[in-house]
Amino acid sequence: MLILTRRPGERVVIGDEILVTVMGVSGHTVRLGIAAPEGIPIYREEIWLAVMEENRAAAEANADALPATPPTDTPKQP
Amino acid sequence: MSVNFQSIRFGAVEIDQRDVIEFPFGLIGLGGLQYTLLDRNPGSGFLWLHAVDNAALALPVISPQQFFPSFSLEIAPEDRERTGIEGVEPSELYVTVRATPDPADITANLRAPLVIREGHGYQVLNVDEDAPLQAPLFALPMQSQIAS
Repeated sequence: MLILTRRPGERVVIGDEILVTVMGVSGHTVRLGIAAPEGIPIYREEIWLAVMEENRAAAEANADALPATPPTDTPKQP
Repeated sequence: MSVNFQSIRFGAVEIDQRDVIEFPFGLIGLGGLQYTLLDRNPGSGFLWLHAVDNAALALPVISPQQFFPSFSLEIAPEDRERTGIEGVEPSELYVTVRATPDPADITANLRAPLVIREGHGYQVLNVDEDAPLQAPLFALPMQSQIAS
């Protein structure tokens, strides 16, 4: 892993198109500004991991894994 | 024009070219750039979002409003900017389903719904605070008895 030291206001350039700016530091919190080409998804790691886990779990379903009963037959309790 | 592809779950599948959905960024952590929606159990409420370019890649999905009447979507600002999607019609919305042997344990991911519009699909983040990653689809029978 490449490790760089930056001060607030300084930037890191990734490739020719992605620019990461250290906006500020406060205690244990760092604010980053990220400029990337239109369309590139940018996620906080924890939500990215969580959604990936759900997607992968969903993709493991067998063809017969789902109930054939319409959902309206088994209403949820409020 | 028709498109043919293989599925490890359903064998040979033929769909209309117009039913191919382009996912420019795939699904988070799964990829896949072209999918289609298959209705293998009409009336069940479950569809399969099946990759056209990967025989093994398919996820069960549902229309969130059908199971969760109070479902609401607030697309994360960065996703709105990325996809250009603002308002979403209920008919354009799906959520993935985590199937389990016991139907009582089946959950849906309300946190990262799929917006499918005019042949293009995007998985977006829902920042509505009442949208969990694992929302139970069905009430447990025991709970129903206790409740009544």
